[in-house]
Amino acid sequence: MFDKLPAADRQGTGPVACADRRLSPVEDATNLIAALFIFLLMCLGIAQIVMRTVFQTPLSGYVDLVELSMAGMAFLGAAYTQRMGSHIRMELLLSHLRGRPLWAAEIAGALVGMGIIAVLIWYSGAHFWRSYQLGDTTIDAEFPVWPSKLIVPVAFSLWFLRLTIQLAGSIRMFIDPSRTPEGVTLMKDAAAIAHEEAEEALAASQDGKD
Amino acid sequence: NVDGPSVFWKISMYGNSRALTSGMEALAEKVAEETDGKFQIRIFYAEQLSPARENLDGLKLNAFEGAGICNFYHPGKNPAWMVFSLPFLPIGDPEVGRYARMRMFEHPAIVADMAKWNAIPYVSGLLQQFELMGKGTPPEKLEDWQGLQVRAGGGLGDAMEALGATKQTLSASETLTAFQNGTVDAAAFPFTYAHVAFKINEEADWYTANLAPGTSECGWVLNKTAFEALPEAYQALLMDNRDLVLDTQQAAYDAEDEVNLQLFEETLQKITYSEEELARFREIAGRPVWEKWVADNQDSFDAQGVLDDFLSYAEEARAR
Amino acid sequence: MLIGLGFEHPLLVGMIGIGLLVLLVALGVRVVFAASAIGLLGLVELIGWGPAAGIVGIVPHAKSSIYALSVLPMFIFIGFVAFHAGMTSQLFNAASKWLGWLPGGMAVATVFATAGFAAVSGASTATSAVFARVAIPEMLRYGYDRRLAAGVVAAGGTLATLIPPSAILVIYAIIVEESVGRLLLAGFLPGLVSALVYAGIIVVWAKVRPEAAPPVGGATWGERFAALPPLLPIMAVVLVIISAIYQGWATPTEAGALGAGIVFAVALFRGAGLRPIAASLMESAKLTVMIFSLIWGVTIFVRFLGFSGVAEAFTAWVVALDAPPMMIMICILLAYAVLGMFMDAIGMLLLTLPVVYPAVMALGFDSIWFGIIVVKMAEICLVTPPIGLNCFVVSAVRPDIPLPDVFRGIMLFFIADVITIIVLLIFPEIVTWLPDLMRN
Ligand code: NA
Ligand code: NA
Repeated sequence: MFDKLPAADRQGTGPVACADRRLSPVEDATNLIAALFIFLLMCLGIAQIVMRTVFQTPLSGYVDLVELSMAGMAFLGAAYTQRMGSHIRMELLLSHLRGRPLWAAEIAGALVGMGIIAVLIWYSGAHFWRSYQLGDTTIDAEFPVWPSKLIVPVAFSLWFLRLTIQLAGSIRMFIDPSRTPEGVTLMKDAAAIAHEEAEEALAASQDGKD
Repeated sequence: NVDGPSVFWKISMYGNSRALTSGMEALAEKVAEETDGKFQIRIFYAEQLSPARENLDGLKLNAFEGAGICNFYHPGKNPAWMVFSLPFLPIGDPEVGRYARMRMFEHPAIVADMAKWNAIPYVSGLLQQFELMGKGTPPEKLEDWQGLQVRAGGGLGDAMEALGATKQTLSASETLTAFQNGTVDAAAFPFTYAHVAFKINEEADWYTANLAPGTSECGWVLNKTAFEALPEAYQALLMDNRDLVLDTQQAAYDAEDEVNLQLFEETLQKITYSEEELARFREIAGRPVWEKWVADNQDSFDAQGVLDDFLSYAEEARAR
Repeated sequence: MLIGLGFEHPLLVGMIGIGLLVLLVALGVRVVFAASAIGLLGLVELIGWGPAAGIVGIVPHAKSSIYALSVLPMFIFIGFVAFHAGMTSQLFNAASKWLGWLPGGMAVATVFATAGFAAVSGASTATSAVFARVAIPEMLRYGYDRRLAAGVVAAGGTLATLIPPSAILVIYAIIVEESVGRLLLAGFLPGLVSALVYAGIIVVWAKVRPEAAPPVGGATWGERFAALPPLLPIMAVVLVIISAIYQGWATPTEAGALGAGIVFAVALFRGAGLRPIAASLMESAKLTVMIFSLIWGVTIFVRFLGFSGVAEAFTAWVVALDAPPMMIMICILLAYAVLGMFMDAIGMLLLTLPVVYPAVMALGFDSIWFGIIVVKMAEICLVTPPIGLNCFVVSAVRPDIPLPDVFRGIMLFFIADVITIIVLLIFPEIVTWLPDLMRN
């Protein structure tokens, strides 16, 4: 679950595999933080219902708090999601490619991603900086907004690193497609992904049985 | 009538075309007519250009040439502008409100708030005074507010709490449902059009007619860089037509009020507070909130000065 | 200005942008990258680098920190935890005990078990995947036609997006600024109608060919009632979400939180360990990022469309068309069917609605009704060739049922879906009745 990539991909000795192994625990950790944000949102929602309906005193600043925390859920897991290959793409064409053409397409995809994420790191950083420097608060409880805005460039920097590793891994394979893949997300066709999902779901429902 | 270069201005606005936007629409028409179509102003509705809360950022970035903003969407971005949201300011009369607000739009502190964002205040949106609509027993005396659940934000919410009500922050669209099911007893909206827009009047039993507990400023600001780049004739055209914008807005509100007030009178119980009661109301829920606001903000700017000037403009307007 | 078109040709720039986006997505660039990169380039062309990049830098945070969207992680979390609490097999067990005696009874039971699971899950493919494991072996054991067995599971999965909770309906509501609660309520009856039409068509088909879908008797009343108690948590979640939204005692996010809390408590009570709980949290976080990335990525592209003025131009064009509105509506729906062959449902809505929705409103259609119809269209695309993800899922779980067989099995349900769409076109009240009841 935490580590879906094929074993060969994870045990290489080259620089790409090393970098991959260094970055993965950081990505796991940030995704876990995002997961905790989700868990806390659940607790906060329940607390709000109880406080409002039972004690007639809604938590003040609840909406503001939720809005500020959403950056944690929406961005912190971005690099992890990239590593797992879960950002949506159309694989109709890609799934027919093998060898060099496939890796060329992966390189192009990674470059587009790195380009736009680089711009976003810089300019979401600027957005954070404006709110820090010029002042910005939430609508109701007037909490400062900048910590929430700061999450974006931080999470995107991690995402950029993951894309760099995938780019390097793809270039390595483009040079010699016969190598063992390192630091790339092996594309599975839709059927294989579905199979995997079903296995997980089944394992999950077995786990839960008495 | 006015000669000059071809200029295209984009105005970023949240929501759809409505009374609040009627003034700027009239301005766009007028300006195009005067310049023979060379100076085009186009309003982009429904947050097409920017989310409402980030309109000031968009001006800072020179992404568009003007925007409609609401001071209470981002208190931290315009701290001095929060004076417009204080409860029970003596600007309940539309004429007084218009004069005092337009004087404030030239106030150094109000201008400075916008200058940070590369913006200049243009005209007030003349947002109407809030009134409350509610279900159940009408609060005919101040004491009756004790224990009621009231949908109200900002300074008005603080004022209602001072009366012993519980304030709730709900988005406008959620309010009706909460209202129907008794989660909320009363809701404050700009009077009259917003109550109708969110169908509060269809559920309510009563409304307050003369509480005038306060309002906010949802007005128009321009991009400073873009304004300064305009030829002088175009600048003058904009500045000379501020009254056109205000007149059109006011007329649009009045037209809606005429229909709505009659509707309310027919279907709801109207609560009118006596002058003594209102005075007592302001005493409890007005001045203490002002003082707290001044104390909270005096460190970052001359909040006392801003408040005093606003009050003196209102005084001037009443004297005229 | 790259090619110096500027505001004299913003429409042209907009059209070129749409073309480039389709190209990049078809080439397999991740949708979030393709949409935001083309959006950035288009904005640079229209307003220059500084303002364009600045605007783009605002979008991710601004579009993600909207309270109404916080319901998404809650809905996602409910679905994952429900797996861990073992709710799927219990649903199927109860449904087959109660409905097995009907002609095609096991297939009918599958339809209603998936409908029940839809009340805790917002994702079509996940629902199909689970029931392919739980329901297909049972149906085959009773001598059911394997194509029917595969088809009913693939089709039943699509109910998850109509019956609340549904991520897609939330996203639709937010794009068009409708009440999230009203949209969620609106999906409930059409979801049930879809299930009933599925069941009806199975019964008719099984009457004609009883050997392919024999009824299964033998469940005593005692067995039937014994199958019910394990379903209590699911019923509690349905009750919480529907009543909270309908009666207004909680926002959709809070209702989702309470629903997730219930399912979570059940999972703990049934002895789920730390590992599966952590796993469902990690999976929820991943899916949340995926959906939010899609939202802000496509919004960057849509911002560019906003600056280009394409939406107004499209509305003006559609309104000026000399054709009856219902004719135009059917053309729009057919266009969605084609688009749905190639695109993910959420991406499709995010991309098209800012342009299509104002036009549909100008034609005088109800916005909630249109949302349900469009989502139903997107779901039909999930079971039809060439992509038909739900069919892939079923075929992948059951390698003994080849993909062409699944697609053949789905024919029956495709007919059912067309009937449902026609029913919803003729009786829009099925969609609007429940949300209107809430308003009045
Ligand atoms: Na669902
Ligand atoms: Na399809």
